[in-house]
Amino acid sequence: MKWVWMIFCVMALLIIAGCDGRQSAFTALGPVSSRITLLTWIMFIGAAFITLLICALIVISIAGPADWRHKLTSEKSIVWGGMVFPVVTLTALLIYGFLVLKAGGTLSQAENPVHISVIGEQWWWRVIYRHDDGHTTESANELRIPTGRPIEIELSTADVIHSFWIPAYAGKVDMVPGRTNILHFIADKPGTVTGQCAEYCGGAHALMSFYTVAMTPSDYDAWLAKERMDAKPALAHEGEQVFLSSGCAGCHTVRGIPADGKIGPNLTHVGSRLSLGAGILPNTKEGFAKWISQHKTVKPENLMPPFDIFSESELQALSSYLDSLE
Amino acid sequence: MAKPVRRRLRKLLPWAIGLFAGGIVLALAIAYSGIFNIAASAGHPVLLEWLLTLGKERSVIVNSKPVDVPDLDIAGLVPLGAAHFQGGCATCHRTPGQKLNPVYGQMLPSPPDLKVHAPMWTRKQLFWMVRHGIQFTGMPAWSGDGRDDEVWAVVAFLEALPSMNTVDYLKYASGNSKDIIAAQAGEVASQGRPKINITACSRCHDTDNAPPTSPYVPSLGGQNKAYLKRTLHEYHSDLRQSGFMELIAVELDSEHINNLADYYASLKPSVSKPAQNVSSEGAMLAVHGDLSHKIPACLSCHGANKRPDYPRLAGQSEQYIKQQLLVLQRGIRAKTPYGAIMTTIAKRLTEQQMGAAAAFFASQSPTERTEHKTGEGLRQ
Repeated sequence: MKWVWMIFCVMALLIIAGCDGRQSAFTALGPVSSRITLLTWIMFIGAAFITLLICALIVISIAGPADWRHKLTSEKSIVWGGMVFPVVTLTALLIYGFLVLKAGGTLSQAENPVHISVIGEQWWWRVIYRHDDGHTTESANELRIPTGRPIEIELSTADVIHSFWIPAYAGKVDMVPGRTNILHFIADKPGTVTGQCAEYCGGAHALMSFYTVAMTPSDYDAWLAKERMDAKPALAHEGEQVFLSSGCAGCHTVRGIPADGKIGPNLTHVGSRLSLGAGILPNTKEGFAKWISQHKTVKPENLMPPFDIFSESELQALSSYLDSLE
Repeated sequence: MAKPVRRRLRKLLPWAIGLFAGGIVLALAIAYSGIFNIAASAGHPVLLEWLLTLGKERSVIVNSKPVDVPDLDIAGLVPLGAAHFQGGCATCHRTPGQKLNPVYGQMLPSPPDLKVHAPMWTRKQLFWMVRHGIQFTGMPAWSGDGRDDEVWAVVAFLEALPSMNTVDYLKYASGNSKDIIAAQAGEVASQGRPKINITACSRCHDTDNAPPTSPYVPSLGGQNKAYLKRTLHEYHSDLRQSGFMELIAVELDSEHINNLADYYASLKPSVSKPAQNVSSEGAMLAVHGDLSHKIPACLSCHGANKRPDYPRLAGQSEQYIKQQLLVLQRGIRAKTPYGAIMTTIAKRLTEQQMGAAAAFFASQSPTERTEHKTGEGLRQ
């Protein structure tokens, strides 16, 4: 009986996890996702009614009174119930669906949108903020947006097909090789939600997640100004020395020191992010140490080479240094 | 038609099973009784000798058929093969100008004089025997797992051996190590007859006035001490695979390793002539990497001011670097944490990129490398 309980507990946990609004398609925090949620409910409830109706008709056709059964077989009920009703219902839903799809599109004419590019990579997100003056600031694995302003995200991929999905704000949009897709949405109020790659993209697909933080416009501007700056000079140089001499800079950029590798996530302000490894480890000194020493088990198949070469003191120094990059 | 045949076969079946079981019982009885004399001194009866030789030769011929023969750089490989032969093979197989040690002469079969026997085999067959060894003969398999590249150096030497005289052989086998001087009687009495020692590193590696004996041998002068120490320990504990280095490193204790690392780190780099054909691809790869294939810049780890336990590559030969990259790509060095880092990157390189990167480092002067500035290779 034990395993039955185990399965029950796992199922219950899964369901409870679904109630957490951070990554739920039922928790709409913006106008685009609200319409999608409404469409979802209409579909669910409508489908439930139709299912009940069909069940009732089946019962009648098997065990109902003779005259009801006779009526069901008449040409009239087949034309109205089997042809007119589905055509009308499905056409209405189709038109409604198109309108919902267009809802994000109408935002494209909105003034003063926030321009952000997100590039899907195996298995993380390259995030590029486009400033009004034409400059860009690269970050990774976290999206920061202002509330109330239309957000325009250019979605592309560096390798295979990924799908960008923040359930709380918008529907999923695929990142297709050779194409750039545009996603529009608005966040109504400040808060933190999660997004996830929604198209199987290889080994670590399930661990390709990210936090999205909606901030008040003034907070956002302050954050963006800070994000745009170079990393502050390190207080303790030991960790920075380990970073530079061990080859980390071959793949990672830290603006302000001679580290401009473009292969992996930009680490200039990695200490200020909410998570490590694309939404899978807490952003703490211990989290950094765990990622560096055990990333092949924490996130199997990820493309970073294993670095099992550090002494305990080097690992601590490197973790402290990365944690200090705020 | 089919039925009577099947019936007859069914009748024969108990007889067949009986004969088979009887054979097994007989074999067990002979083995247990001990009547078969396995003494090496007893030799083989003529018929058995013929049968064993036939089986051995046919097995080598058949099993070596799938071996792919690469292009062999004979001139580059012979000194390396000769130095290994001296350390690993000569004990049993004798060297030119030397008589077979009577102890090993009493083995059954007696180890063949390869000056005579090597020409009897093809390149493939020689490779197969050196790589895999031969059961019941005392011939061991190659001790460096997966290092087929090293086996080919021995094959190249074996092909050159028949035409070598004693002087040629000693020149190759002793490499840069000191000449063997005829010792005084007193020295012989107290220290033994001087001979080329297996742990004489300069049999292959560079000295203060001579480059390595082969382009497939790394130059050690001026290499990072921590790297040299780590590598010798890795060879010593069978973590890094090499049929050449393992048997030497196993003879060294920690003190030897420490002293040798010190010695080579402070040794002046031997000056070798820079490689000619340096493509821009090699410099690009070394300085910037290849973003589209997720290959970081070589210099981000192998430039100046990097970890002392990472190797310096400037001034190493093109052949050595490329061969190590191929070995890394095949995952043969992934057992060590350092090798595991480079294995990930080597797997992303094409063979052309390996050649280009190797040529770039070969063209760099080993003496100027300390003057590179931090991050010089990283700025774009």
